Amino acid sequence: MERYSASVRRVARAVLGDPDDADDAAQDALLAALVKLRQYDPQRPFGPWLMRVVANAATDRRRRRTVRRVDPLDGNIVAGGPAPDVEMQRRALGQQLREALAALPERRRIAVVLFDVEGYSHAEIGRILGVPEGTVRSEVFHARRALRALLKDWKEEEA
Amino acid sequence: MTPQVTPFDHRPDRALGAALRAALTGADEPAFVTRVLARVGRPLPYWEVLASWSRAGITAAAATGLIATFLVGRAAASSTPDPDFLASAATASARRLVAAPRPPDPSVVLAGIEDR
Repeated sequence: MERYSASVRRVARAVLGDPDDADDAAQDALLAALVKLRQYDPQRPFGPWLMRVVANAATDRRRRRTVRRVDPLDGNIVAGGPAPDVEMQRRALGQQLREALAALPERRRIAVVLFDVEGYSHAEIGRILGVPEGTVRSEVFHARRALRALLKDWKEEEA
Repeated sequence: MTPQVTPFDHRPDRALGAALRAALTGADEPAFVTRVLARVGRPLPYWEVLASWSRAGITAAAATGLIATFLVGRAAASSTPDPDFLASAATASARRLVAAPRPPDPSVVLAGIEDR
């Protein structure tokens, strides 16, 4: 569980935005995966199967959610970390990236996180999302175009 | 020199990946794992219990429906007509018609009427 929990939480957060909602969805997904373990084919890689369960759990929760909650303060901020200004910049970039992600269609968000963060192939993501590989390429392309523009602006501001 | 990364790349974009990872990674991973492990073995939430019931219920309802259809069909095929109803038929041919398990062929009935 330790091996996959961080990935599971990130994918859930990419779908839901709110960290508490995302953790609830990640927990539901991990418990559902344990219940459905008999359905898993050991001949196939475990990661994509689990990510499919996670994506479905997070999407279901997002559909059920009616009231959006405000993001609480990031719990990563702890004493003894990086210098406050560096930490503030990092937080600000993180916030902007999350907002930019939230503005993307859901499938695009999941595709880019699975590809660029979690390292899954286009074919694997296609199986996770139940769409053709070409669709995944297109979704990753559009997501990258939006997110890279943000990163580029950020770097130019820093320089 | 850093290779130029285009949106068409089939390779993960490390810079974007790292930034997204930092933006999405949740705090206190061990606490989360502990929280999930604490839930393992506890009773399932009610919606999962209901979902498992509904699967079993649908299967049972389908089986019951099939058995009921079979039994009703068999009973209808082997049923004997009500004696009072049979007695109400005026002639022998009418009694045969009323007692018949299947409706008569219309052409035979019409031919009988024509013969008269």
